[in-house]
Amino acid sequence: MGWLANLVSTGTLSQVLVGLSRTTILFIVSSGLTLILGVLRIPNVAHGSLYMLGAFSAYTVISLLGGGLSAFLAALVIAPMIVAAFGFVLERGFFSYLYDREHLMLLLLTFSFALIIGDLVKIVWGSEYRSVTVPEFFQGSAEIFGLPIPYYNLFLLLIGPFIAVFLWLVINRTKMGKIARAAAVDAEMVSAVGINVGWVFAFTFVLGCFLAGLGGALIAPMVNISLGMDHSLIMEAFLIVIMGGLGNIWGALLGSLIFGLTQSLGILIWPQFGIVFPYLAVVVVLFFRPKGLLSPTW
Amino acid sequence: MKPIGAFLAGVVMVFCMAASGVAGDTIKVGLVDTYTGPATTFTNDVLDGFKLAVEKINAKGGVLGRKIEYVTRDDKFKPDIGLTMAKELILKENVDILMGTINSATALAVSDLCKKEKIPFLVTFSKSDKITGEKGHRYVFSMNENTEMVGRAAATVLARKPYVKYWIAGDDYEYGHAIANGVFEHLKSMNPKVQLLGQSWWKVGETDFTPYITQILAAKPDFVIVATGGAGMVNFQKAAQSTGFHKRVPFYQHTAIELSTLMPQGPNAPEGVYGTANYLFYYPDSKENKAFADEFRKAYNRYPKSGALYGYLAAEFIAKSFEKSGKIDREKFIDAMEGMTLDSPVGKLEMRACDHQVLLPVFFGVTKKSPQYEFLVAGDIVSVPAKEYMPSCEEIVKARAR
Repeated sequence: MGWLANLVSTGTLSQVLVGLSRTTILFIVSSGLTLILGVLRIPNVAHGSLYMLGAFSAYTVISLLGGGLSAFLAALVIAPMIVAAFGFVLERGFFSYLYDREHLMLLLLTFSFALIIGDLVKIVWGSEYRSVTVPEFFQGSAEIFGLPIPYYNLFLLLIGPFIAVFLWLVINRTKMGKIARAAAVDAEMVSAVGINVGWVFAFTFVLGCFLAGLGGALIAPMVNISLGMDHSLIMEAFLIVIMGGLGNIWGALLGSLIFGLTQSLGILIWPQFGIVFPYLAVVVVLFFRPKGLLSPTW
Repeated sequence: MKPIGAFLAGVVMVFCMAASGVAGDTIKVGLVDTYTGPATTFTNDVLDGFKLAVEKINAKGGVLGRKIEYVTRDDKFKPDIGLTMAKELILKENVDILMGTINSATALAVSDLCKKEKIPFLVTFSKSDKITGEKGHRYVFSMNENTEMVGRAAATVLARKPYVKYWIAGDDYEYGHAIANGVFEHLKSMNPKVQLLGQSWWKVGETDFTPYITQILAAKPDFVIVATGGAGMVNFQKAAQSTGFHKRVPFYQHTAIELSTLMPQGPNAPEGVYGTANYLFYYPDSKENKAFADEFRKAYNRYPKSGALYGYLAAEFIAKSFEKSGKIDREKFIDAMEGMTLDSPVGKLEMRACDHQVLLPVFFGVTKKSPQYEFLVAGDIVSVPAKEYMPSCEEIVKARAR
């Protein structure tokens, strides 16, 4: 019963908070992925690479502006914009020509872009590790029952709900969002009533890329910005999207919560095998709800 | 009839070249390594260190009147591609020597091939102790430390410290387990008082270490052995910095004090982290090391990291061994290589005859701020000489008999 004692120890609260801050990053990235998946029907394997691009762009913006809090906040806006602009070129220049083809073609194209973006990043930024310092404002940590919670993680905790509300507003309260939702259900019908579906698709894709870039910019101060940082994330993001229900943004939120919390609490219960808990959760969820927790838009 | 005569002469020449086994009048070295993706942070230094030494050797007229020539192949961090590339280099490029691979699985596969083809293979960067241990043979040499050596070297220093309750944690793959268990097992045998409080393992490529750190803090160990590799080194140190982990519990990471880990973090890396390294461009503060670091910096506009030493050593050993054997002959090359010593930036180094492992000192130090550089450096450096920590030749023989 040692694990039970671990779970009701003083460490639980800090572990939950840390898990929730992880959820923020996972949600931001996987909501972008699921948005593109739901509306455009593209399983975007390059989404992780766009996240990496966001992190590298944030690095460049912060170093160009000389560091500090203002540079960091500027990077949180500019880096996702760079990724979004890149996404716009991708969608208009490549993907838009393939919507009539089979999905396999789109999947292959996204896969090739994952490789191309990886090499582009290497050409532009080189293979050395890059690192962004946590802005002084967020340095250090708060203490909860004697255990540290970095201020930056608390900042992430605040950002998460903001993004969720922002997405809700965009999708439910803007015309573009409403059309995108309609297009997700029946793109042909939407174009039949005289709406240019192409631009709806472009808008959605760009928004998805913006979110990937934002995730990358937010994670930048916490990690080593390096080639390969895309690989592990894209796996997790896809699992979350599948667990939540394909194309369903709230499913992505739910999936991220489950993933983030099972990870941090799993570590508390059984540190040696903490790694398996999120994946175990995926298996359990899919066993009982093979189509995901919430209704997929597919 | 002239064209036919020229053609026949050409055919004869080709046959002669093929028969001699050594094409042309150069020494040809083939490098198989990962030149795309994350591992390039380390492999580029190996290549550049090698190039630097080769250019110097060639400028002085080469070896036995021949220039050293090299060809590179990218294995994309995949053992099957690495093996194919190695085969191609041996069969089509007729290389005299193979070197490379940061991926231990590739190194072992290529090593096996080289044993069959009787081609000397100089391993640069792969850290598996099997390469010169259990799976070692006449044709394979290692230019760098391995997990077993790190474990023993770090344990000799940690055994003198007063800590009792240890926690081990690391990347959940062979390297992580080999380093963490290596350090702890040897520590346990040197200081029976130490005990293992618990362990945590995370997936390779983990980005957020905060939940692991808070859990370890809650368990209250005296000391933590952290076995991360590659990009995880910096990720863990950043998490330590933001949680203040290193101020609450001291921890050790192999390569924590290396440039590849500290430079990207600039002045904000955590202070007081224990680590080991094979090469530091500012230590030892000797004429030889300074000259090497300056030359490297002049050529490539960056400080050399440990890979640069391995690449440099490979080139020097190749040149010296061929010189000693007096002709370009692979078997004679190996005989010459066994037991050879050479001067290096880190002092005199020996290629041990019994296992073909270069005997390197291991530097144990602790991260600290530097007035001179924009990044943290190692302080309180203890140089652990090879004879203090290397597994004995008897142990190697026993491992190979298994």
